[in-house]
Amino acid sequence: MVNLMNRIPRFWISSGTIVAIVALWFVVTNAGLVGPSYLPSPQALFSSFKRLLESGYQRTPLWEHIGISLFRALSGFLLGVAVGIPTGLMTGYNRSADAAMSPIMAFIRPIPPIAFIPMVVLYFGLGEEGKVILIFITAFNYAHINAHAGAAHVPIAYIRAARTLGLTPGQIFRKVVFPAALPHIFTGLKVAMALSWAVVVAAELVGAQKGLGFMISDAAQVFQIPVVFIGIALIGFIGLALNMTLSVAESRIVHWKGR
Amino acid sequence: MYHKAALRLMSSEARPTYSGAEDKVVFEDVSKTYPKSGAAAGSTVAIKSLNIAIKKAEIVSILGPTGCGKSTAMNMIAGFEFPSHGQVLLDGKSILAPGPDRAVVFQQASLFPWLTVLENVVFGVKSRGVSPDIYSKRAEQLLKAVKLNGFEKHYPYQLSGGMQQRVQIARALISEPEVLLMDEPFGALDSQTRLMMQELVLQLWVAYRPTIIFITHDVAEAIFVSDRILLMSSRPGRVKLDVSVDEPKPRGLEFLSSASFVDMQANLLTALKEEVH
Repeated sequence: MVNLMNRIPRFWISSGTIVAIVALWFVVTNAGLVGPSYLPSPQALFSSFKRLLESGYQRTPLWEHIGISLFRALSGFLLGVAVGIPTGLMTGYNRSADAAMSPIMAFIRPIPPIAFIPMVVLYFGLGEEGKVILIFITAFNYAHINAHAGAAHVPIAYIRAARTLGLTPGQIFRKVVFPAALPHIFTGLKVAMALSWAVVVAAELVGAQKGLGFMISDAAQVFQIPVVFIGIALIGFIGLALNMTLSVAESRIVHWKGR
Repeated sequence: MYHKAALRLMSSEARPTYSGAEDKVVFEDVSKTYPKSGAAAGSTVAIKSLNIAIKKAEIVSILGPTGCGKSTAMNMIAGFEFPSHGQVLLDGKSILAPGPDRAVVFQQASLFPWLTVLENVVFGVKSRGVSPDIYSKRAEQLLKAVKLNGFEKHYPYQLSGGMQQRVQIARALISEPEVLLMDEPFGALDSQTRLMMQELVLQLWVAYRPTIIFITHDVAEAIFVSDRILLMSSRPGRVKLDVSVDEPKPRGLEFLSSASFVDMQANLLTALKEEVH
């Protein structure tokens, strides 16, 4: 059986798994083996999704919940990487810069971003600034660390080659250290993106009136189970889409990686 | 056409007499010590009292066992490292920093993987502000000389090791350097490619006449390519033998099987073997 399966292209086997799971889910819920308050049936999820699309959740359209979560995550992410990448490159390349920044980074690094949520709500209330700042700290942390690793691991042959070719230190930083660090920078971007998305959902669980995190938390409190499932699925799909976007960008820009 | 190569040996005690004006690179009583790494106390003496005079347009090989300090000596000419004692002089002046007048061909891959072959070759001259009219023509000539015309738009990862080294050579020569430093450039290549590259170095010398300082652990390569071979002792490194190779250039493969070549090779191998204990 397994020998036969090895000759079928990967796509069909993976699709087969999905079909099998959906079929199992259909049977289990419709036969009453699992109650609707634990696992809604596929039809229940589908009609719930239709209702969300038509009338939104808590008088806010669905796209607005999705949009506000994305806005918070992406603004914090972009600000965080805009600061984290240059500072990371500098501390990775220059020992004095590293010495200056390392006490700060050593302190911030081990703190899970989620731990800052109560503080953010205390200082900034339920407004947007607090959440963006939280995401900023998260994205900055991971973008910085990976950019630092990228700059610190530039092969010394590249630096020596650049010096012998007559480049100034500024040119070496821009034209050699930065491109050489791009593979690490992209790793940092992907991690920062994934965590920014996770943290925005976490922040919305406790301190928001709109957004996907708010939606699943609120729906759970009033036992609207299908909405919870749909919310989680949406969070998953959007996270996946964000990651895939970065992967595509990476394969275009860092075309030499892994060769 | 090919004369008998003369073999002149100088003992390590004799100092080379140099005429000053013709000397391109001079080591004046150079020593280099490194502090021991980790918890160990004391220091390692890499080179001790090195005295070398290299003339303009000379091709000199530095031959020696691993750890004898030959790379350290080259790094000091390149400007990557500085002597603990003594001076390394270029045209009579102390070397303070790396520069395009002393181009380097590295042992490891040092081409920038995000740039094409052509972009790699012109990277240095372009960044220094040389006019594109000047450097594009030179780049074209050099790529043709190293037989890589047609590969301008390729990326380094699409090239074999030998081809990458050829790009390095083109990149080094585009600034028309007075000194070309080659640090075991062909060590990672197979013997056929290595032979091709050695012939290429000789051809390029005939065309451009740089002073070439060539590090190798391969005795045959040293004899084939150089005017002069400096055999270094094991750590702390000093010049053990200074051998002249009088075979006129360009040299063909016939030189490799000539009696003088075989003699020289035997003598050098014996001397080298003594150092590897």
